Amino acid sequence: MLRNRHEQHYHTLNTTSSHQKEVYYYDSEDSKKNVKSTIISYQTLCHITITVVGFFVSFFKIWYPAEVVFDEVHFGKFASYYLNRTFYFDVHPPLGKMMFAAMGYLIGYSGHYDFGEIGGSYIEHKVPYVGLRALPASLNVCNVALMYAIMKQSGYSTLACVVSSCMYLFDNALVAQHRLILLDSSLVFYMLLTAYTYIRFFKLRNKPFSVSWWSWLVAAGASMAMTLSVKMVGLFTVGSIGVAATVDIWNLLDIRHGLSLKEFGKHFLARVVGFVLVPVCVYLFWFYIHFAILNQSGPGDLFMSPQFQATLENSPVSLLSIDIHYYDNITLFHPTTSVYLHSHKHKYPRRYENGRIGSGGQQVVGVHDPDDNSYWCVKPTKDISKDKRTPVHHGDIIQLEHVETGKHLLTHNVASPLTSTNMEFTVVPLEERYNETLFKIQLDDHANGNVWKTHMKSVKLVNIAGSVGMWTFKDKTLPLEWGFGLQEINGKKDFIRDKTTYWRAMDVKGVNAKEINLKKKEEKKEKPMSFWKKFLELQLRTISRNSGLNTPHPYKSRPISWPIMQRGISYWRNEVTREQIYMTGNIFGWQLGLVAVLCFGTVVIIQTLARQRDTHAIQTVAIRQRLFRSAGFFWLLWAFHYLPFFVMGRSLYLHHYLPAAACCYLLVGALFQFACIDGINTPISGRMMTPSTTVNHRPFTSMKACPSYWSYLIAFTILSLQFAVFVFLAPITYGSPGLTAEQASQRKLMKSWDLAFA
Amino acid sequence: MDTLKRRHITHSFNNIDGPSYERIPLQDDEDLYTEKIKAQRNYRFHHKYISWTIKNRHIVIPVILTLLSFWTRFRDIARSGNVIWDEAHFGKFGSFYLKNEFYFDVHPPLGKMLVGLSGWLSGYDGSFGFESGKEYPESINYSGMRLFNAAWGALIIPMTFGTARQLGMSLIASTLAATMVLCDTAYLCISRFILLDSMLLFFTCSSLYCLSGLCKVRHSPFSKHWWFWLTMTGISLGCVSSVKWVGLFAVALVGFSTVEELWDLFGDIKLPKLVYFGHWIARIMGLIAIPISIYMASFVAHFKVLSKSGPGDDQMNSLFQARLEGNKLAESPLEIAYGSTVTIKNHALGGGLLHSHVQKYPEGSKQQQITCYHHKDSNNEWFFSKPYPQNQMIPSLDKEEEENERKNENEESDKEKVKQNQQQMNNSIDEPVEYIGDGQEFRLIHVATKRKLHSHTIPAPVTVEQFEVSGYGGENATDEKDNWRIEIVDDISDKHAPKDRVRSLSTRFRIRHSVLGCLLAAHNTQLPQWGFKQIEIVCDRDAKENNANTWWNIEEHRNEKLPSAPKDARRSRFLKDFMYINAAMWRLNNALIPDPDKDDRLTSTPTQWPLVSVGLRMCGWGDDNVKYFLMGNPMVWWSSFISLWVFIITAGVYNVQRRRQFCELSQSQWDKFISVGKTLFLGWFLHYIPFFIMGRVMYLHHYFPALYFSILMVPFLLDHFTTHSTPKRRKIVFTIAFTLVILTFIYFSPIAFGMTGPADSYRGRQWFKSWKLTDEVI
Repeated sequence: MLRNRHEQHYHTLNTTSSHQKEVYYYDSEDSKKNVKSTIISYQTLCHITITVVGFFVSFFKIWYPAEVVFDEVHFGKFASYYLNRTFYFDVHPPLGKMMFAAMGYLIGYSGHYDFGEIGGSYIEHKVPYVGLRALPASLNVCNVALMYAIMKQSGYSTLACVVSSCMYLFDNALVAQHRLILLDSSLVFYMLLTAYTYIRFFKLRNKPFSVSWWSWLVAAGASMAMTLSVKMVGLFTVGSIGVAATVDIWNLLDIRHGLSLKEFGKHFLARVVGFVLVPVCVYLFWFYIHFAILNQSGPGDLFMSPQFQATLENSPVSLLSIDIHYYDNITLFHPTTSVYLHSHKHKYPRRYENGRIGSGGQQVVGVHDPDDNSYWCVKPTKDISKDKRTPVHHGDIIQLEHVETGKHLLTHNVASPLTSTNMEFTVVPLEERYNETLFKIQLDDHANGNVWKTHMKSVKLVNIAGSVGMWTFKDKTLPLEWGFGLQEINGKKDFIRDKTTYWRAMDVKGVNAKEINLKKKEEKKEKPMSFWKKFLELQLRTISRNSGLNTPHPYKSRPISWPIMQRGISYWRNEVTREQIYMTGNIFGWQLGLVAVLCFGTVVIIQTLARQRDTHAIQTVAIRQRLFRSAGFFWLLWAFHYLPFFVMGRSLYLHHYLPAAACCYLLVGALFQFACIDGINTPISGRMMTPSTTVNHRPFTSMKACPSYWSYLIAFTILSLQFAVFVFLAPITYGSPGLTAEQASQRKLMKSWDLAFA
Repeated sequence: MDTLKRRHITHSFNNIDGPSYERIPLQDDEDLYTEKIKAQRNYRFHHKYISWTIKNRHIVIPVILTLLSFWTRFRDIARSGNVIWDEAHFGKFGSFYLKNEFYFDVHPPLGKMLVGLSGWLSGYDGSFGFESGKEYPESINYSGMRLFNAAWGALIIPMTFGTARQLGMSLIASTLAATMVLCDTAYLCISRFILLDSMLLFFTCSSLYCLSGLCKVRHSPFSKHWWFWLTMTGISLGCVSSVKWVGLFAVALVGFSTVEELWDLFGDIKLPKLVYFGHWIARIMGLIAIPISIYMASFVAHFKVLSKSGPGDDQMNSLFQARLEGNKLAESPLEIAYGSTVTIKNHALGGGLLHSHVQKYPEGSKQQQITCYHHKDSNNEWFFSKPYPQNQMIPSLDKEEEENERKNENEESDKEKVKQNQQQMNNSIDEPVEYIGDGQEFRLIHVATKRKLHSHTIPAPVTVEQFEVSGYGGENATDEKDNWRIEIVDDISDKHAPKDRVRSLSTRFRIRHSVLGCLLAAHNTQLPQWGFKQIEIVCDRDAKENNANTWWNIEEHRNEKLPSAPKDARRSRFLKDFMYINAAMWRLNNALIPDPDKDDRLTSTPTQWPLVSVGLRMCGWGDDNVKYFLMGNPMVWWSSFISLWVFIITAGVYNVQRRRQFCELSQSQWDKFISVGKTLFLGWFLHYIPFFIMGRVMYLHHYFPALYFSILMVPFLLDHFTTHSTPKRRKIVFTIAFTLVILTFIYFSPIAFGMTGPADSYRGRQWFKSWKLTDEVI
């Protein structure tokens, strides 16, 4: 055994030996120390050097341009909102933006600038933008360090670690994106942190339930939640960790693993705590902070329900909301299409162009600006006198009288002018057709107060006789000739589950709600909404808003075009100095990453085929396991951060690929090791405490990676190509210096890149 | 780890020990039990008929079931003499076959041809229009047509029985399976009308039947039986896909099963490589080549039968239209010249005609819209004029005259007037005819509005990366951006034709903007409501020359100065037409999206289906109507949906047990459980889940094929769980199942046989409000 260890040592020192040997031995503690003592300074040195270089690359000319670049418009603005404590609405969870706000708070930014448009000057508006940008830039430095650490912890040789982290470091897209006031830097940071912590956790699998095992488990869960709290893309991180953890737990379940059911249960519960409970708490925590900070009415009010708005200070909704009483004259507003219910002297035609017969009754339409013709009087069907001021309740049956013309609102069994499946709305003289003029009040959220209020309460007006709900739709504008291009109002049969049949009473004629409410406010305060309700509402609205984001944008792209780096995004340009920031990946690195992905896929397929034929594609057990576990994990991360975009309906941009690009570089390093370096460093995980268990039939292997001159040469070639492309594209990454037309067109590395000034 | 590795193929629907189902261990209990009973009964009843029945129960039961199924399907089939539900469509399509007129529809032709056949058999001549809800005239033997369809529906029941047997279920479980299908009100109802669904269901069932047969003989590959089942599976798949595209899900199911089998064979190291290769070839022949040939054959027949021009012409490519009898296109002049009035068709699969109308773009230039549109009308007509600055306008038809002409389009006398006009028009061009060839410049003037086809650097309304194309200028305003240049790609019917002439129908060309250099293109993007959901036309800056979206051909062509084309100048090829009609079907299928502003109570969403939360009114709901309500038997539907989950959970539990090595199932039991269960579950999954990502309008009957697989799961699981229980308990379980299914069927049967009298009298059957069996009252 001793001899073996010497031989092992010999291999470590003699890196020239091109063949690897598997050495079996059962005492790892000493050898670990030996290995460490010879390597530690060299590895750490590399790690530190690369991080320092990363600092310079990230912070180079960070003060330039001193103007608002691309989406800084949004995220700078959101930071300002936090500092002003005004409520805003955005599709992303709050953490990333709160980090900027915190940074702004620390460097004394008061939140006065609105980041109005791309190209707005920071210096003019006195914004400490360098400080704000320092946050993503320093996170990018951390990312470089994390890349190295992940590779190191996964047991790759120093050379492979250097390859991965330098590839990441010299990527134009990552540098360009991660030094601006954008969320992606923190997103990638937390994603890499999740990978790192999970790997640390997994490596301790032979010392379960130890303190460090628990710490890394909780850390992995927490950083997973942090990723999710920055952007919803974090769900992909959650998914990949979820798959990895499920595979892990499935293996633990195997009886040959030697765990009793009780022990297995403990493992399972621990993971539930670490990967479910902890993340949920962390995620909720940031929303709690979000609501706690944003307690004042702001630009996001209108995205939320009236109840929500009422929780905000100075919210116009709670100021203007007032109970509706019988015989009040009110306006009715349709929030989905922003029109008011309106009627006027003009009639529907008797006969439409297509020969269909209409009622010829007075028109009831939707208008955008209310006038006297938009007031309706709420009349009771029970015996209620005018003086009593009785409020209108949920479930009451009312009539609505059009104040100007003195007629009752009605709907009847006549097809509406444009929507022939729905019922027509019109008005009739007071005494006529009583049954068809009855409407039932159905309030939204009537469990929470069943009195109909202006602004606060949404209401469905259900016609009793026709059993239809009053409704209108955006595209339905009546013809100009007789309908003046106003919006059709009709009765919808399928109104029960349809949220768009809600209307809202806006104001009561002759009542100054503000005054009344200000008086009232001193008497009693509104009941606050619970955190859960607020959270749920915001979450649901975020999701629906997110999927609705498909407005055309000149730089949106399809996921398929990302890995080959088909087209970049123009972030900023200065016509005078001919400078521009054009966000584009390092085309060499990205395409190499794609090759790595495909190579790994091929290896997996070959292995699967070989397995079916009862053999292995890679004979050495340790190397095979390392490849499929570690590189497989990186591949999984890449796939989860890329493939789901294909089924997403919303507008997509190149920067959505950045997390996947980072994972790609991990995979490049891993495959570099597999292809170019003989052997691997093993073991890297601690051993089982009890060697007698039946687990892991294979004998314990110890091995050292032995990089040859060839591997150094290949690594050097890859890195110099990456570096060369990086430097070549640097002017459009950093936004300076300006480029002549010739220089610019040289940098169009692909025909489809649409650089300015080229 | 290697110990677990299986080197022989173990899972099949049956046990290894024998292909015939009589000897399946699962049945041992039952056989023992029946033996016992037989002894007892023989003792008790000496009657020879009863003992004969018991002895031949394997035949007697399916025969009885079949008789029952024909009885239920045929019973009182003519109760309603009105056109019910989609009879309005499929009856009509059937009529077209009898009239030989070309029509166009989203579904492949086989099912509709069978409908046509049913009409022919019952002596129908194709003259009835099948208006929805209308009463059938005396002369039409509609019940004959319905009987033909119902027969397909009736044949499902014996097939279910056979499938269950082949999947290795016991006799009683197989009977339950067939009974559940027999007693499902939805299957019953949909089978009784002139629709495609009964055929679709029949072929779906036959696919599974043949697949189970194929799996049963998998241990004797290349035997006579094996070839038989393989071919039959292929034929079933071909038929099911030729009825509706939903059949492709059945293809996917068989595909999965085949791939899995080939994968297992790949692991059999002892198998000679040549034999393995043979497995591949056989399956490619049987399961790919045969279905494709059937599918194509149905289209060959379709084109052959529909030889006359009909309402579907405009959906097809120009050459195809010219081939149809009675279509005027073939007679138009061959070569295009300045002064020709034409319609221009996009050459991409399913492309439309270049179109313009008086409406303006709401954004961008706010000039007149240019779109791509499939329907033929006078707004598709364009006039070839000399390029700017030469002036050659349409020798104008007087505005009033033009209007008159439109108004009286149908009257004979006005046709002459038009002719006169055209003569005038041509006479006014004194110059000799100047043909248009490759590279020549021209302007295109929209005949109805006198606007010129125009493009500029303004972004297009939807595809903002491209330039907008608009109709520019009034009568006189024009500029150099009205100029376009023709680039001939080739001639379809004659590859070596010289490029100096553009020939109508057959020449494919690109239209390039003279100033901007972009290509006139119609990608498949729809305009919003303001553009009437027509296809957007852009000027493509990327100018991809090989993209068929930028290729065009002349369809209609009028030029009095030119002679008509010779008869045989154009040929059309089947393969091209086949591709074209499929692309057009695909496009139309995707265009069947629900209208958000239309209140349609008939449509439903996939989530509403499995739990019977919705029914469908198939006809008018007046008190005098015979009313049919398409809704499943709740017992059948609920139990089948639950069984899917039970299967998933059970499989999960067994998996964990096997992982912990204390599973009570033997390897062969497990193999049988998982292989049958997986097939059924996958069948349900493949026929159901894709509807969630489909954009088109969906109706309840889209769930029926999926339902079939889940129905079979119920007896399968009952069988599985009662394997080891006492005969008594087994008997009780199955009795309860039979009772529930049959009683609810009897209770609900009026909705499928036709309800008479006011709907309100059936209010008791409306267990849930969402069923909408009766009108709701607030």
